[in-house]
Formats: sequence, C-alpha cells, structure tokens
Amino acid sequence: MTEEKILLDHGSGGKVSHSMFSDIILPLFENPELSKQDDGAVLDVKGTKLAFSTDSYVVDPIFFPGGNIGDLAVNGTINDISMCGANPEFISVGLILEEGLPIKDFKLILETMAAAAKKAGVKIVTGDTKVVPKGKADKIFINTSGIGVIPPNVNVSGSNAKPGDKIIISGTLADHGITVLSTREGLKFDSDIKTDSAPLNKMVQSIIQSNCDVHVLRDPTRGGLGTTLNEIASQSKVSIKIDEQSLPIRGPVQGVCELLGFDPLYIANEGKLIAFVPQKDAQKILEIIQQDEFGKDAVIIGEVIDKDPGKVFLQTNIGGLRIIDMLSGEQLPRIC
Amino acid sequence: MALKYVEEYRDGTLARDLVKKIHSVSKKKLRLMEVCGTHTTSIFRHGIRSVLPKGITLLSGPGCPVCVTAQKDIDAFVAFARVKNVIVTTFGDLMKVPGSSSSLTKEKACGADVRIVYSVFDAVNIARENKDKEVVFCGVGFETTIPTIAAGILMGIEGKLDNFSIYSANKLTPPALAALMETDGVQIDGFILPGHVSVITGTDAYRGTFEKYDIPSVIAGFEPIDILQAILLLIQQNEAGKPALENAYPRAVSHAGNVKAKQIMNQVFEVCNASWRGIGQIPSSGMELKKEYQRFDAAIKFAMDMPDVPEPKGCACGQILMGLKTPEECVLYKKKCTPMNPVGPCMVSSEGSCAAFYRYS
Repeated sequence: MTEEKILLDHGSGGKVSHSMFSDIILPLFENPELSKQDDGAVLDVKGTKLAFSTDSYVVDPIFFPGGNIGDLAVNGTINDISMCGANPEFISVGLILEEGLPIKDFKLILETMAAAAKKAGVKIVTGDTKVVPKGKADKIFINTSGIGVIPPNVNVSGSNAKPGDKIIISGTLADHGITVLSTREGLKFDSDIKTDSAPLNKMVQSIIQSNCDVHVLRDPTRGGLGTTLNEIASQSKVSIKIDEQSLPIRGPVQGVCELLGFDPLYIANEGKLIAFVPQKDAQKILEIIQQDEFGKDAVIIGEVIDKDPGKVFLQTNIGGLRIIDMLSGEQLPRIC
Repeated sequence: MALKYVEEYRDGTLARDLVKKIHSVSKKKLRLMEVCGTHTTSIFRHGIRSVLPKGITLLSGPGCPVCVTAQKDIDAFVAFARVKNVIVTTFGDLMKVPGSSSSLTKEKACGADVRIVYSVFDAVNIARENKDKEVVFCGVGFETTIPTIAAGILMGIEGKLDNFSIYSANKLTPPALAALMETDGVQIDGFILPGHVSVITGTDAYRGTFEKYDIPSVIAGFEPIDILQAILLLIQQNEAGKPALENAYPRAVSHAGNVKAKQIMNQVFEVCNASWRGIGQIPSSGMELKKEYQRFDAAIKFAMDMPDVPEPKGCACGQILMGLKTPEECVLYKKKCTPMNPVGPCMVSSEGSCAAFYRYS
C-alpha cells in the first residue's frame, strides 16, 4: 500500500476537497464558527456581528483577459465577506513571491489590487511579503483576509434555504474558469471571453438594505454553480430544482465548453452570486440585482423544493430530469 | 464565435415532438445500446432516459476508450512514468484510471513528469522542446483518434524526433460490435452507432456486421435531437420488423467516411488483436505500428511487456460494457467504487457508464 498523498483533486473545491475538510481539517480545529462551513466565519465580538474570511490565490497564468491574480484576490475576499451579509471594510494581503518575478509584473499586480480595493471601497490595512527561491513557488501566490460588520437583523447562511425559495443568479456562468483555461492552454478563439471577476459588496448592500428577506447568498466560485448548489442543499437539508433553459451562458463560453467537454455548471465564476429568497420578495430582489453594475443579466433559475433533501435536480431543455452532483475531483487546475 | 449546429439540435419544442412520436410508435420492450461514451454522457446530461417509454432500455456499450483500456496497458503507462527522464503525455481522462498498483495521478504526485495534452500534436511539441528527454504518448482511442496519432508519428519523422514514441492501445469499433453479438447472453435489439467514429469510418464500415447479424443500426450525432431521432428510427425498425443500417447524422457522416484520415491511419498502423478491459481479447480489433514505424513504439523502445492481470475482485465493468449488467447491479457500485475512489474504469472516465450513472441518476 503506497502512502496517501495530497493530489490536485484535493484543491478542486469538489467532493475530494470537502472530504479533506471534514475528515482532516474540521476534527482538529472544530468550533461552532468553523462548523457552519459558510464562505466566512460569523463572529460575535461584544455584541457586534463580524464576518471574517480568508482565501489564497494561486491562479496560473497570473495575467488573463479582464484581470489578473491581484484584483481576483481582492474581489474574492470582498465577495466572501459580502456573502455573509456583511459590508467588507478591511483587508490584509500576504504575498509569496518567487525569485525572478519581474518587478514590472509585481507592480502591475499591486496597482490592480489598489484599484480593486478603491473601487469596492475597502482598505488594505496590513500585509506581509516573503520571497522563495526559484521553483519553490510559481511567480506569485496571494493570500487575502478580510473583515466586515454584519447589520443586526441580517441572518444569511448556506443553512437557511427553505422550500419555496426562489433562486436568483446575478449573471452569466463559467466566464472566469473558461477564460483562465483558454489563456493557459493558448487556445485562440475569435471572440471576447474574459473573466467576470468583480466586487459584489454594493450589490449585496442594496439587497440587504431593501428590507426584503434573504436566506442564502453565495458566490459560486471553485466547483461552479453545481457544486455550490449541492453545498447549500446539504447544509440546509433541502432539495433544489433548476431549469436548464433559464441558465445564462454566453455563446462563446458555451462553445469552448462544448469543444473541450466541460460542463459550465462546474466551472468557476468570480463575480457572480446566487441568492435564495422567499417567493414574495423574489421579483423585487431580482430587479435590485439587475440594477447593479454587475447584475444586468440576473435571472431566476430555480427553486427550493420539498423532497429528497440534499439533492439538486436539473429540468433539461427537452423536458427530462437529471441530478446535478457535486464535482468529484479536479476539472480545471488552479483557476483561482 | 457563434456555435452553429448545437442550439438547433437542443430545441425543446422539437425534442418534445420527437418524444411524443417515440411514445406513440413504441409497443415492444426493446434494449438499445449506445456504443459510444459521448452518447452515454449526452443521454444522461439531457435527461433522455427520463422521457422514454418504460419499455425502452438504453444500455451503455464498450465505446469509452478509457473504459476498455486493459489494465496491463494502464500498468505500462504507470511504468513509463517511473522511468527516469521520461515525460508521459496523456489525455486527461486516463490520469485517474487505476492500474494494478497505481495511477498516473498518483505517480505525478510522487514527482513523475506526467502532462495532460489535448492531442498527440501537443506531445510532439513537448518532444521538440525537450530533446534531452524521452516523450511517451499514451495512445488510447478509436478510429476518431488513431489517424491523428498516425499524423503525430509522421510529424515526428519530419521533425527528426528520435525522443518521441507512442504506446498503442488503440481499438477499432466494428470488431467489438461483432464480438458483442457473438457473446452468450447478450440481448440487444439495436445499436445507436457512434457519430465521431463514423465521421472517419463512414457508414460502409458497419455493413458487414449489419448484414451478418441483421440488427437495427442507426448512426447518431450527439445532441438530444440527434439521439432521440436515432431512438425513434430504431423503434420503428423493430416495430416494423425491418432492420436497416441508417445514417441519422448525415451532416457529418458519409458512406465512405474520411478517406484521407483512413489513408494516414493505414499507412502507419496495421490491424492486430487487442485486449479489451473486462471483455478480453477480440481478434483484429486493435491497431499497432507497422514494422517500418516501430522505432516509435514505446513498448519496443523501452522493452515494456507488462503481464496480464486479473480484473479487480467484484468489478463488473466487463459485463456492464456488454449490456449484461447495469452499474447498479455491480456489488462495488457506490460502495467501494465511486468517482473519488474508482475501482473499475467505467467509474473513472467522465464518459464511463458507471460514472454517468453515479453523477446523473
């Protein structure tokens, strides 16, 4: 029997990542905040509810159409904090640099980070840099952490989905993952495919301030919409049904997926959220999202139903029904 | 890039009309086999099984190249990865297929240089850029893939690349269909024939099998409308008692197929016997390099002759590939055998019938 080792699958965001978390990480670190398994931890600090989240970015290549590893890292943490219902305010940045990284690339990445933070209205307040010998890292790895305050009456969590909830997605699927893949593989397409990396804090604030009920907010990043819906179905012990015809996917992205055999449901997004909202508020929240700079293509894609808890179903274009399972292992390496 | 010929063949209204027609024509209980793994995936992905009459059973056949790759061939790929100075190049689907003791994924985690490529031409380029290393390409595929591998060999000759070689575990489709029909207990009322393979082989390649066994056979494309159309034709043939060889994918498949591709394939390769995982040896169902190209044969170059190994205990992949069992009838399915820890090859490939069952049903 060979010794078990970490495989790329462990970083896929799918089932293998989840079992690593529940079998190895959670038992050692267990506490009520971590056990909730949301995008960020919700902390009670002397009566104030804080959202706290961290994420590391190792994307290859570091530059891709529409962005680079820098704004991806800033927006990613802004979004993780936002998905807790909080307004992100402060961010930390940890940089691991490989010997030989051109200073001009480094500066460009930092400039993009500064611009992303400014656009979202958050401050980068602390950080760290380390340099490792050539070959011990790949150009640049970035860790960002962030905190934000959750307003008193807000309670958003992956475990709050209820039967009857409508599910809204804020825009098109799979843009980021397909952009990174096609850039890395040097695939040349005569079309405009670019990352959707964007800060969603303003969109979330508009939703929260509307006084409508919101049960779940999530950004379907690594593992894609399919994996995120499975996480929510399992956390909330409900079943979810989505309609294939309603899924917004840009033609060129669909085309690349067809060519390479990828299912857009499992491809990462970096500037999209899904919201689970009671039916009575669904139309209003949809309109709020559509008015946001990054939510023009928002649509309702499905609903929470009351059978087979933990399962996610897709009503197909041809009227068939099938299960959407969580991603098993690696589909695309190092997309964020 | 506007993608033509996809949305048109996923039209919901057209599909519903076809489904209605299928329900009105279907009387007999029928077992139809989709031979190709891409069909299997498409059938699950679009929920086609869920709209068919109860009497129509779809069986997933031996048309996923990864699934039918013999375990000893996987062992050979693993062995190449362990040779110093060798870069193994492979299609992504092969990475996780378990051999007797390891897989390419595990070897990569241990430091082997294993690279996923999208075509043999990527492997040729890697050889060109790494002249101090040996580059081995894992040749796994059917008639669709074999001509490209042949072209890769010709590119290797042109580029004077003596550090490039392939291990050929390539397979041919028509002999497998004949082998299926000869197997005891196999009950198939019609074949949904593979679209991609047929683009190369042409309709004529199936004429021999069709005439010998008089079995309803329809070539199909991969979109839901294509597949529903093929199912309708197979049901109509069965109900009328008039088996026929029909082409429901005429926008891509001709009688003669891709003559140029076949020419290149036959220039470099010749027919040989081949081992199919779970099924065993099928005469004249493989392709090996012709004598004059054998310096590109990795098995010869590295004197790699792996022993035959028994299938993992309990694994029913062979019977599943022949339509004798469904994945749910395998004792390992969803218990010891999952996409995270696959025992048999049908659970590994995204086109494998067990993986498709696991994911979509």
